[in-house]
Amino acid sequence: MKIISINKIATIALVCFGVSGLISLNSCVEGKKSAAKSGMQLWSENCGRCHNSPSSNNFSQEEWRTVGLHMQSRALLTNKETDKIIEFLSN
Amino acid sequence: MKQNKIITKILLLAVFAFLKADISTAQETENAENADISKQVAALKPGESNFMMAGLVTFGFVNQNTTSTTVLGKSIEKTNSIGDADRYEFSPMFLWRHGNKLLAEFEPSWDGSALGVNWADVSYYASRGLIVRGGYIVLPFGTYTKRLAAGWINKLTSDPVGVDMAGSDFGVEAEGGFPLGDMKWSYDVSLSNGFQLNPNGQLSPVGISAINNGKTVCGRLALLPLSNSSLEIGVSGLMGSLATPVGDTNIYNNPIASMYAVDLNFVKNISPIQINIKGQYSMSGVNNQDYSNPDTTQSKYNFNNTTSSYFVQASIRPNQSRNKILKKMELACRYVNYTSPKQSLWGQNYSEVNLSLDYWLSWKTVLKVGYENIKYDGTTMNNIPSGLDGNSTSVNRLIIQFSTEL
Repeated sequence: MKIISINKIATIALVCFGVSGLISLNSCVEGKKSAAKSGMQLWSENCGRCHNSPSSNNFSQEEWRTVGLHMQSRALLTNKETDKIIEFLSN
Repeated sequence: MKQNKIITKILLLAVFAFLKADISTAQETENAENADISKQVAALKPGESNFMMAGLVTFGFVNQNTTSTTVLGKSIEKTNSIGDADRYEFSPMFLWRHGNKLLAEFEPSWDGSALGVNWADVSYYASRGLIVRGGYIVLPFGTYTKRLAAGWINKLTSDPVGVDMAGSDFGVEAEGGFPLGDMKWSYDVSLSNGFQLNPNGQLSPVGISAINNGKTVCGRLALLPLSNSSLEIGVSGLMGSLATPVGDTNIYNNPIASMYAVDLNFVKNISPIQINIKGQYSMSGVNNQDYSNPDTTQSKYNFNNTTSSYFVQASIRPNQSRNKILKKMELACRYVNYTSPKQSLWGQNYSEVNLSLDYWLSWKTVLKVGYENIKYDGTTMNNIPSGLDGNSTSVNRLIIQFSTEL
């Protein structure tokens, strides 16, 4: 019974969070501060959330495109963030 | 005079012929070199596809003292091992990208005794904020398994016990990240074959040959409320009907598993130090069921089949220090707690304190010197279903570990 009540509460909380997330999908507009960020700044902020930030000479341009797709999925980066970080690391 | 003219003409003709031959040879050599360069350029030219290998290798040395206390008394066991089985791992990761929309990933893993697979899937980057994946996937439950478990990312010498409740499964997944003003949020949902309920009450994956019609839904929602992405808070949930293993004669009453998790990640640079705090609380439960009583084998008994696990870790690294050695060092600590049903065969109260001093040889290569203190109480069959029997074990470990990304 305890499990079921916890389940119910957690399920309701999850559904509410999901619905509010879906509603906010329409307002998923990037703020001015975020839009102005450079690839270097995004690289510094996002890679370091889990591991040390790599330097650009670790992989070739083509490899960075591959690693970029892998990391977009792992860190759930936005598309714009991924593009900017790959561009920064490819040069 | 005439003879001289003839000789001069012959000489001029000879020189002309020699020069012509030389020019032809030079031209041929140049053409060959150009063809060679063209071939090399063609080889380097970016194509639609790219194949590469990454992954990781972790190995080390562990010295362990185990003190067991039972009703019969106390015993001490000392062991040491190079390439400790709990921590040795060789996991090359193969990535194959086709264009900018398709990525296949395969990571086999050898732990010194068995060869397994961490994930084997293909992802399609469908549109802004939508990645669709299918195959053998890591379920989106918490963040540790998906992001932090690699030895070169993990700042401690082992993984928190009980954190990998959901694991990997055969299924499909959709995920993506979106801006929300100067904040960000992300979603990750999956549908997979799910679990079976074993006679002792434990869950195990049904694998690729699903023996139940029901499927398991799992998902995680995360919010990064600060504009510099330094803080991430996530909530995860999993729910699915459970299969009965082939050969199990137990009749369960519509068994359902549910799991919930909350995770937190905070990384902040306060010059010259980087502070890194991570944590996750996970809970797993099965609705009310009767299980085979191992004491009598004939009767049934019931217990609250709920398991919980949490860990909290913190590390500091003076990464902006002027001292070249100090800036490569990191001090990390972690507390882990794991509690499984006390009246089950696998009932346990487990706690662990980890300390580690890390030296970063490069951004992806680390040498760790760690200390682990583990304490747990367990059950024995004689005490089921009355509960934990008072047996306790204490383990002290000294670990030297090396890990790198391939």
